[in-house]
Amino acid sequence: MRGHGQGTISAARVWVLRLLVMTKKELLQLRRDGPLLLFLIYSFSLSVCISGVGITMQVKSASLVVHDGDRSESSRELIRRFREPTFRFEGEVPELQVGLERLNQGAAMLFLSIPPRFHEAIRGGEPIALQLQVDTTNAAQALSAASYVARIVGDVATELAAGRMAAISGGRVDLPVVESAPRVWYNPNQDETWFQSIAHILRMITLFAFLLPAAALVREKEHGTVEQLLVAPVTPLHMMLSKVLAMTLVILASTLFAVMVIMKPFFGVPIKGSLALFLVLTALYCVTTAGLGLFAATVTKNQAQIGMVSLLVISPMFLLSGITTPYEAMPPWVQSIMAVSPLRYFTKIAHGILLKGVGLDVLWDAVVAMVLLGGVLFGLGMWRFHKQFA
Amino acid sequence: MTIRRLAAVAKKEWKETVRNRLFLLMAFLLPPLWMVVFGYGLVLDVERVPFAVVDRDRSPLSRDYVYRFIESRYFDYRGTIQDEREIEGLLGKTAIRLAIIVSEGFQGRLSAGRPTTVQILLDGSFPLHADITKSYVLAINRAFSRDLLTDFLVRTRGMTRDEASRLLEPVTVETRYLYNEEVRGTWSIVPALIMFALMVSPPILTALGMVREKETGSIYTMYGSTASKGDILLGKLAPYCAISMINVVVLWATAVWLFDVPFKGNVVVFFVASVLFVLCSTGMGLVVSLLVRTQMAALIITIIIAMVPTILYSGLLVPVSSLGLGARLQAHAFPAMYYTDVVRASFLKRFSLHTLWLDILALAGFAGAILLLAHRLFTKRPNA
Repeated sequence: MRGHGQGTISAARVWVLRLLVMTKKELLQLRRDGPLLLFLIYSFSLSVCISGVGITMQVKSASLVVHDGDRSESSRELIRRFREPTFRFEGEVPELQVGLERLNQGAAMLFLSIPPRFHEAIRGGEPIALQLQVDTTNAAQALSAASYVARIVGDVATELAAGRMAAISGGRVDLPVVESAPRVWYNPNQDETWFQSIAHILRMITLFAFLLPAAALVREKEHGTVEQLLVAPVTPLHMMLSKVLAMTLVILASTLFAVMVIMKPFFGVPIKGSLALFLVLTALYCVTTAGLGLFAATVTKNQAQIGMVSLLVISPMFLLSGITTPYEAMPPWVQSIMAVSPLRYFTKIAHGILLKGVGLDVLWDAVVAMVLLGGVLFGLGMWRFHKQFA
Repeated sequence: MTIRRLAAVAKKEWKETVRNRLFLLMAFLLPPLWMVVFGYGLVLDVERVPFAVVDRDRSPLSRDYVYRFIESRYFDYRGTIQDEREIEGLLGKTAIRLAIIVSEGFQGRLSAGRPTTVQILLDGSFPLHADITKSYVLAINRAFSRDLLTDFLVRTRGMTRDEASRLLEPVTVETRYLYNEEVRGTWSIVPALIMFALMVSPPILTALGMVREKETGSIYTMYGSTASKGDILLGKLAPYCAISMINVVVLWATAVWLFDVPFKGNVVVFFVASVLFVLCSTGMGLVVSLLVRTQMAALIITIIIAMVPTILYSGLLVPVSSLGLGARLQAHAFPAMYYTDVVRASFLKRFSLHTLWLDILALAGFAGAILLLAHRLFTKRPNA
């Protein structure tokens, strides 16, 4: 009985030892690939900084030209309201035609024209309309910029109306209006560095977790070293697990670096939830995504093919998993396809833990979905791998 | 450099590509597939924002107010909750992105001619979406207030509705949307997807074609052959350029016929710019392949170089003018931005060459510089 127990224990030890040796081999191979290592470091350091600081999806510096047909005190005051950072004033144009030409050239996004008699109309209590022309080649940004203009003109109108109301009601300022001061949770100043840097590390984790193990496996197939490994006393499970384990370790270390050395101190990303939980779930995500990669690797014959297949898989993951636009805004058919994208669940987890400070009690469904998905993908990959080589 | 040798290298490369079935399939399948999936699927408009309401007033007027949100296409009503404390949980698990809390005395205060405040809570994890949602909310509040004020003036001052609205709306703005009159999201995203497809796929095709030979060692037969450096490089590039140019035509046709995007520009200018851009993107793959030894490194580096700037710094999602300094520099350092300008203008604007010549010049410059760099980096006498 005892001997048998010891046998199992030592067998397990050998199994683990072999796994560790194989993992070490993978890490060594990665370390010796200079350009690759350099890019790994770049992706989780400088690149995080650039995308965090540099990208704002909110309308910023929307270039505006104005045709001021009135040249009055009121019109100048109105123009002054279009300020940085939302707008960038690109000067006045003498004629309407020149303004349109600027839009055509792409030198300006918005062209506002103030009609003559603007001042008189405002003072005299006559309604008057401003003309705004918008370059909508980039539809989302154009709409957003136009709504800012409408907001500013609306403020002017409200102030004027309030003044007139006060005049006719003899100084009484109480009016039946609905006011609101929207409060933004989780990111009160709408700091985009938080959002962009999180989006960036999610992309990088995905890329490396998918590609490194998959390419490593296909490389062995292509070179025939897979046969050497198969006659060695390691199982296919060893081979796959060691690749995943090695890459997960590397990715976890890089993520921890990006979060603790760049995002927290420099960008002030709050990390409201538990960092330990985030790392554990990042590891889970790496394994799940690696499962997807390994499955793809068993379908392909050489690295050129895995390259194209990874483009097929990764680009929809990047654009449609809810990193750049919220998941619920996507059309229903996209949502149902993307149910198999592990990134869709991991985005929810990352936003939840890092920004919202929620824990497993809220995120459990995403975690369960990821475990199931990972299990199925890994299982399928193993099954195909066995069929090919055993 | 002779045409005959160049053609021989190109023919060999072409045969290898054709024999790699899955690879060839993907080379032709991916670009149109991307256009269809992202053209229909990538929605950048902020619509159907999920929200919940706490109505503590429960009056006809508060229901009227809430109904304005329910019937708007920008909002997606997810129900009324009784307890305010539930909001935190709902926002936390992203069941809603917006909560509206109407306090007691909403109707009472407004009917008495006094202002009232509505609490608005937003999920800020997507700053752009939070910001746009905020402006929708303010617009609804403003419209609702204006209606209230009109009623108020009619009731208390004996004005006609017309007089009241003249008083309340002293300044308005009439907006005209140019080039894309209905502001269709697909019209602005689909032309940019041509750029996306041409920037992401060709560099990988080229890079892998070269490194594969380096990794397996068959590159030495090239080193030992009579073909010159130029022959080898251009011969390697030619099949992938050809594949990409076929894709340009396919993508152009998909955009025009499937998505009904108007093509208002000049076909010749568009194709000249496309050829230059394809030279840039395949050339970038070639440069990467000359710098690395393994296909794995080539794959990852090319994907990062091709995909990340293309999504972030090309004008696909974010206009280059609103990027920060570092990002704007990176945008100018890649050819993608210039080509995006040309493609968008070619489809939507009736442009003349003098507005785009700088972009085209930049593309030509990049193409030349990248090919020269490849020529400098490539050596037939490697040390190792």
